[in-house]
Amino acid sequence: MPTIQKNISRFELLMDAGFGAQKAGDILISAFAKAGKYVYIEPLIPAEISPPPRTRPALSGVIIRVADFDITNIGNDTHVMLASHEVVLGRRLDDNETNPEAIVLLDMGDKKDNEESYEQLLKRVAKMGLQVIPFNIDEKAQFLIKAMSGKGTNMYYLGMLTHLYNMSKETLIKEIRHTFKKLKEEILVKNIQVFEFGYQFAAEHIPLSIEVPGKPHGQEQILIDGNTSLSMGIIDAGIKLYSGYPITPASSIMHTLAKEFPAYGGIVHQAEDEIAAIGTAIGSYFGGVPAITATSGPGLSLKQEFIGYAASAEIPVIIIDAQRSGPSTGMPTKTEQSDLPAVIFGSHGDNTKVVISVSNVIDCFYAPTMARYIAEKLRLPVFIMTDFLTANSYKVIDKPQINEIDDINAIPDFVFERFRIKRLPDHIEMVRNSQSIPGTEGGMRRVTGLNTDQTGSVNYFAGSNQRSHEVRNEKVHHVRRALTVPEMFGPSEGDVLAISWGSTRGALEEAIINCRKEGIKASGMHLRIVYPLPLMFKEIFAKFKKVVTVELAYGDSLKPAPLMMLLRSETLVDVRSLICRATGRPIRPKTIKEKIQELLR
Amino acid sequence: MNVQTVNPEQKLTIKDLHTENPRWCIGCGDFGIVMALKRFMIDDTLNPKDTVNVSGIGCSGRAPNYVNTYGLHGIHGRPIPISLGLVLVRPDLNVFVHSGDGDALSIGGNHLIHGINKNFNCVFLLYDNELYALTKSQTSPTTRKGHATNTQPSGSYLDPLNAIRLVLGIGASFVASSADWMPDHLGQVLDAAFKHKGFSFVHISQRCPHFDPNNFDHKSTSWFSFLTHEKGIPVDKRLADKVEVVQHDPSNAEAAFKIANSSRVHFGLYYHDPKKPCYDQILRDLITKTEQKSRKDMFAKFRI
Repeated sequence: MPTIQKNISRFELLMDAGFGAQKAGDILISAFAKAGKYVYIEPLIPAEISPPPRTRPALSGVIIRVADFDITNIGNDTHVMLASHEVVLGRRLDDNETNPEAIVLLDMGDKKDNEESYEQLLKRVAKMGLQVIPFNIDEKAQFLIKAMSGKGTNMYYLGMLTHLYNMSKETLIKEIRHTFKKLKEEILVKNIQVFEFGYQFAAEHIPLSIEVPGKPHGQEQILIDGNTSLSMGIIDAGIKLYSGYPITPASSIMHTLAKEFPAYGGIVHQAEDEIAAIGTAIGSYFGGVPAITATSGPGLSLKQEFIGYAASAEIPVIIIDAQRSGPSTGMPTKTEQSDLPAVIFGSHGDNTKVVISVSNVIDCFYAPTMARYIAEKLRLPVFIMTDFLTANSYKVIDKPQINEIDDINAIPDFVFERFRIKRLPDHIEMVRNSQSIPGTEGGMRRVTGLNTDQTGSVNYFAGSNQRSHEVRNEKVHHVRRALTVPEMFGPSEGDVLAISWGSTRGALEEAIINCRKEGIKASGMHLRIVYPLPLMFKEIFAKFKKVVTVELAYGDSLKPAPLMMLLRSETLVDVRSLICRATGRPIRPKTIKEKIQELLR
Repeated sequence: MNVQTVNPEQKLTIKDLHTENPRWCIGCGDFGIVMALKRFMIDDTLNPKDTVNVSGIGCSGRAPNYVNTYGLHGIHGRPIPISLGLVLVRPDLNVFVHSGDGDALSIGGNHLIHGINKNFNCVFLLYDNELYALTKSQTSPTTRKGHATNTQPSGSYLDPLNAIRLVLGIGASFVASSADWMPDHLGQVLDAAFKHKGFSFVHISQRCPHFDPNNFDHKSTSWFSFLTHEKGIPVDKRLADKVEVVQHDPSNAEAAFKIANSSRVHFGLYYHDPKKPCYDQILRDLITKTEQKSRKDMFAKFRI
């Protein structure tokens, strides 16, 4: 059987929740990465813990994109699908992310009890023109799986995928041993046997072999997801208290820190509610100790009063908003970027804050350092906005430089350059002259959410309140003035400029590269600091015939999408939405390119 | 605001602790509470630079503004989480939490439950004037049944919530009560509360002459008793001869519940468990018990 050489391939492993699809994926990508291939992984996670097997909500799996060049996003569509039964496959086909030439490997084990359902699915797949390779787990493996109470099918599939992607069996066995090092030897051996049966089965019966080239590039590399990277970034930034309440998709930050933080002198506090969580972070920062909280949609709504308080009382605080699909409880395990207005404009009264966004795992690592710098310089709330996709997607990266920040003045230049901002002035005026921390001799002072004068005394006079507004807003203006031209993809002039923020960066970058290959005069711009905006946008926009945004947020002809609305209002340029969809699925590079072509037609 | 430096060689004075004249109504019980706190600070030689008064919203919320220490006047119902943040990272500070009956028992009820359960080290003062006052007379959880307010003008509908029984039920490690008009007793309560390591819950009956001049008859002594014991709090010197005195061992939880359940008011120490673990200490101990690592190697376990 000939091996097909491909410089990029995307495949999916689809199973019922609780059967280890993601674990199998993790093992495979570690092996890929060690072989010098580039990988990007998006887990498919159900919102419930154990939905009934063989139901659509039970779908749990991984999408893995593997390439011989650095990839920034999960891509367009899938070339190979391996499904444990027809229900999860059918569910996933509904997302319309299958390449027309995709190959589908379908486990027929459930067929005898579900003849009709399998027949229908096979008809559907045939109609779509996809190539189906039906298979049954062989008897020897079945026997072992039964002995493991039904677990272990993921190892069989892993074996199949290992052969399919032309990886060495020995390398994978090493990875399995490493991943399950805590398992009893006897169970581990059974898992490895099942894996080997899967590998052998594919070698004998699956007429497909794909080779994505790769060569190890020498640098020290790590495999990390967005939330873990944020967690390690929190440690590197010198933050000493994390205070949070369980909420998807922010919780995994608390999980990581609960394990890691004590060894670096940090405290993890699980609060009684979302409001208490930010209150405790504010209390810590009032005591002079850098603190952070993380939340997601519903928790963001609950925290709003304290956010305004921190601005008024001039207490720094850092809030991570791991966005998910809203409004209300929405779709907790699906991605979206609709929180932007609630973050920028949330909390009653005039709002003064700074909003940083992360687009990948490296941004995640440096964002807490950047946030700490701005929060402490301005003594204002600073947001770090991530989303379900960035939070949960894995990537192999060269090990980031660790800065071991304690003093914010020691933050190296490259961190500022990453976020396209210059250092802020040494002296920044505060509403209150004294900002001493408890314990400072002679510095006793009271802070309050009431308006005060320079001395900190409560003051309701018109002039005083106006001054407080001016001082707080001037803090944000300092950032505005310090912002440099954001990251650009392509030249600074052309027919169309597409603007992204957060997790859509990778898809936009890839789309622009592909557009330019075809001679389309499209450029991209990606915002890492989303609020405030720099002052030169009007000049940048003037060099393009059209300026559009790419957002994972709802908008239509009458309702402006969030970023588009923000850019219009700040620049008075006729910015339009290229994509403003809130489906819960990532934006595809292909879709961006098609929309750009449509726009220029 | 005149920031005054207190010379540690010199004894702290009431004047040192003064900031500005409080904006409370004439006859407000809050004056008495803040004065008792200041006297306690002097008597127990607390250093103002190491002391933080934290409050929520309401008349009581203004208290930190009137004591020359560090202070944080927060948002409605949330002084407990803020205080916890301070206590977790700055165990060197003396933290006093000031909260009203609306602040602590209504909007901030959840935090009270968990502050008590966590037993983090602070002195919690519940200013109970039995109504919302700063918002101009609305029914609070402790408003007595039948008392007319702007939100229940025909008389408050429900029996008041029994704060002491509530906190005993949650498992508070220190529960005491006093009143704004008994400076000697309140001072003794503050002293005992401060010396207790954990969440010291202090209920203070607080007069509100503006909206409910009849809530606490401070001139009469027939309606309350003092609790005392060798492990408890001495009775108020000024009132010792005039008030019924009940001997109560504060380590006896069952007896404490009985007293809290009675219709009569009792001032003194209801319950004291000096051994209940403190959450803030547990979290800090976690660091001291964990081998400290260099951040340089933080990616070791993610290496591929």
